[in-house]
Amino acid sequence: MMAYSFLQHKIMGAIEADDEYWRWLEEGEFRLPRCASCQHWTWPAHFRCGRCGSWEFEWTAIAPEGRIFSWTRSWYAFDRVMERKKDVPYITIVTELPAAGGARVMGVLTGDTSNVRIGMAVRGTIQPPSAKTKFYPSVTWEIVR
Amino acid sequence: MSKFRGAAAVVGIGQTPYYKRGTSPDPELKLALRAITAAAEDAGIDVRDIDGFVSYASERSDPAKLMPALGTRNLRFASLAWFHGGALPATLNLATGAILSGQAEIVAVYRSMAESSSQRLRVVVAQNDTSSQYLVNGLESPAQILALRAQRLMEHDGVPRSALWATVQASYHHARNNPHAYGRNTEMTEEIYENARLISEPYRLFDCSRENDGAACVLVVSAERARDLRQKPAYILSAPMGTMEGGGALEENWRPYYGTAGHKELAARMWAEAGYGPQDVDVAQVYMNMTSMGIGSMIDHGFFTTEEAGDFCRFENLIAPSGKLPINTSGGDLGEGFIHGMGLIPEAVRQIRGTSVNQVPGAKLSLVTGGPGDIVSSTGLLGSEETL
Repeated sequence: MMAYSFLQHKIMGAIEADDEYWRWLEEGEFRLPRCASCQHWTWPAHFRCGRCGSWEFEWTAIAPEGRIFSWTRSWYAFDRVMERKKDVPYITIVTELPAAGGARVMGVLTGDTSNVRIGMAVRGTIQPPSAKTKFYPSVTWEIVR
Repeated sequence: MSKFRGAAAVVGIGQTPYYKRGTSPDPELKLALRAITAAAEDAGIDVRDIDGFVSYASERSDPAKLMPALGTRNLRFASLAWFHGGALPATLNLATGAILSGQAEIVAVYRSMAESSSQRLRVVVAQNDTSSQYLVNGLESPAQILALRAQRLMEHDGVPRSALWATVQASYHHARNNPHAYGRNTEMTEEIYENARLISEPYRLFDCSRENDGAACVLVVSAERARDLRQKPAYILSAPMGTMEGGGALEENWRPYYGTAGHKELAARMWAEAGYGPQDVDVAQVYMNMTSMGIGSMIDHGFFTTEEAGDFCRFENLIAPSGKLPINTSGGDLGEGFIHGMGLIPEAVRQIRGTSVNQVPGAKLSLVTGGPGDIVSSTGLLGSEETL
């Protein structure tokens, strides 16, 4: 278990129910949690389904395809993400995933980012852990042209 | 009728100067002592009689550290409102609750910060609870996260950039008359605003609050006691805290009010409890961590709709003495200075007293909003005696 890169570089302090998300990404799969009882997409991941009270989730594989819900281009190397200093300016998007009940995930936009607009279709690629992603796996997104 | 409404009032104000971030000559505990003692003096209250202490977010100057230096006789109530700047008016809620239930008689509501003492931005504001979902993807600062909300509010919901500029223009216009404002001498034109360096799109430098060292305090007592003190009381009519379903720590999955501020349900509760509506407000201190978030807060409070934002948010509408809704009359978080929003409550009180440097003549209802976009927030309405 401890072979996973993200577990050796664990970021602490938030809800921390998303280990399975990162584990599956490191395995090369994009999976989001669905309540095993009421089928609600429980994202961000949590320990209990607030809709029906179930404690069981099915981590369900979906295609990393969605639409840009919002975006920002960072023009400054912010303190806790200094690893990206050389990438400034870079764009981070919020992707809405229709296949997961409209759940939204964040990720960096790569490729041709000109004319980025809300609503554009994007496709994700799973990236292995790297220093830039704090040794977590990640999904980067590209606009579908 | 709510028991809360008008049960307590703000009777004292104390503020240190605003220092450039990281340059306060005093550590934050001393800044807190300065602000609290100044507030007691303003109110004509013996500082040793303060028996309640309320702050918010990750305040480090806790009452245990303060009481030896204040000469506190009896510490009876101490509490911290959770989360970040959203908790600002919630402090008035806690103070009123403590007074109303007989737990305390004189409550100091305060916030102190000095970057050199507490590494504010890294540890104190973020509280190190930023999820990996953000950090892995190059997002860490509130500026970046709120930029995502702003982009949605502007590009998708159609709030124009001119509305953001109008709030900046009004804030600096007001700051110019305020000898305590850190930004009073900052030259501000539309050209300067539009050409300032980009921080996180759509935000440029002057869309962001200032970040200063400093401390501020207000003293809260029962309405009954307030009438016998030397200052004109600013009664707390309502100060609800909370978050509606669809909010909370949801990592950009907020629904349905993503682009605004999460204040809609709070504001509805406040209007209901206070018995007033947005049309009755004389002056508003709108928390502006970022320009667009303040606009979102005004939308959520019902001052205008998303569609009306461009029309409403014009310089002439936002300034004292006679704008439709004068905002941030001390200069606010953008122009006066920013110690996690705590400068806004004293200014809301000065408007009721009639002592603001940018006074709205005869102001009776004075709004102060909490940090917009925070995972839990609050909002507060202060009123003069005739509003009770």
